[in-house]
Amino acid sequence: MTDSRLTAASQGLSSCHLCLKLFNHELHQCPRCNSAAHSRKPDSMQRTLAFLVTAAILYIPANTLPIMVTEQFGQPIESTILGGIVLLIEMGSLPVAVVIFIASIMIPLGKLIAMFYLCWSVQQGSIHSTVKRTKLYRMVEFIGKWSMIDVFVVALLVALIHLNGLLVIRPGLATIAFCAVVITSILAAESFDPRLIWDQMEEENNE
Amino acid sequence: MYRPPPKSIYQRSNYLACPSCDLIFDISSLKTGDTARCTGCNHFLTTHRKGELEHVAAFVSSAIIFLMIACSFPFMAFQANGLESTMTLPETAFILWDYKMYLLAFLIAAFIIVLPAVILISIMSVTIALLLKRKHPWLNTVARSIFTIKNWCMVEVFFIAVLVSLVKITRMATIEMGLSFWAYAIFSVLFVLTISRLDRFQYWRRIEMLNPHD
Ligand SMILES: [Zn+2]
Ligand SMILES: [Zn+2]
Repeated sequence: MTDSRLTAASQGLSSCHLCLKLFNHELHQCPRCNSAAHSRKPDSMQRTLAFLVTAAILYIPANTLPIMVTEQFGQPIESTILGGIVLLIEMGSLPVAVVIFIASIMIPLGKLIAMFYLCWSVQQGSIHSTVKRTKLYRMVEFIGKWSMIDVFVVALLVALIHLNGLLVIRPGLATIAFCAVVITSILAAESFDPRLIWDQMEEENNE
Repeated sequence: MYRPPPKSIYQRSNYLACPSCDLIFDISSLKTGDTARCTGCNHFLTTHRKGELEHVAAFVSSAIIFLMIACSFPFMAFQANGLESTMTLPETAFILWDYKMYLLAFLIAAFIIVLPAVILISIMSVTIALLLKRKHPWLNTVARSIFTIKNWCMVEVFFIAVLVSLVKITRMATIEMGLSFWAYAIFSVLFVLTISRLDRFQYWRRIEMLNPHD
């Protein structure tokens, strides 16, 4: 690492997180859009980790509690997310089962693992694969809301299917837990500052 | 020895720093139709489009109309054993309220209807103000709200969920798609187009040009 990067921080500037304006880092407010100004997101690590731990804890009830209750001829049958996927495979809808499996199980879990890894690598002061880690972060950020698919599906089925006495679908408690997992992990991604991945390089340069 | 230029030069409106890795770029040489990407991490920076505001205005106004249609007619009907039940789009949230899941009802309404409606109305007001080159005291606040709630609009996710539900129940019964279903499908496309045309950097540069304070 010989040539130093021309970064906003190295020039004593802050880049507005909302409107991308560059301005003196001593200002407390962006002169263009009036957002609160920070050179780096405040308490990024602590906030990200707090949201991640919350999401990880909520992931357990989201997967073990019933996500919906199907009442056929007055007989209630509870099903979890995983149970719903198994049912879909038995019905022969493999593509949909795959979509739900990816959106509801893989993405939330993958997101948690990826974010924990990013936090850990920043805390370790890693200077390796900065581009790859930045791309990983951008991916986590992009797929965040797609895990809501299953909650939306349940809400739709509940709203649509209410044939009293014959077939009624009710929402299960896992819906709210799952929704909370999605929200806390989006908040975790929003609190993380990808520029921390790169800051270590400047510190190495200064030494 | 390398001497950094005075701070002020980078504070001009043709400079921006990559939000992912903080590298500073000068985009004054960006030609129409070109997209600027960060050379350090390949993150998208900005696109220079011709008639950007006109496109956004066209997409956003049609999106608002289709959302209104989508909220006012039956969305889907479900028939089995001679019985029928129907739903409208707002009922997706309302029905959860009936099951006493207030928070979930509130969140779903926010993600698929309320926040998308708020963001569209905000985009429309700011875009019209920019097209007419009118300065308003609310401009900054409204424009800020657009970029704050953008991540919380889940229109396209909901539409995929609709398709998934269709596959899930299509063997159990007869499903009929109502007018709202088609309206929401068109709305989703228009919504995604609107958001994708909304270039944070260009948009704020135009707002800044309305307020010549520096
Ligand atoms: Zn700003
Ligand atoms: Zn970059």
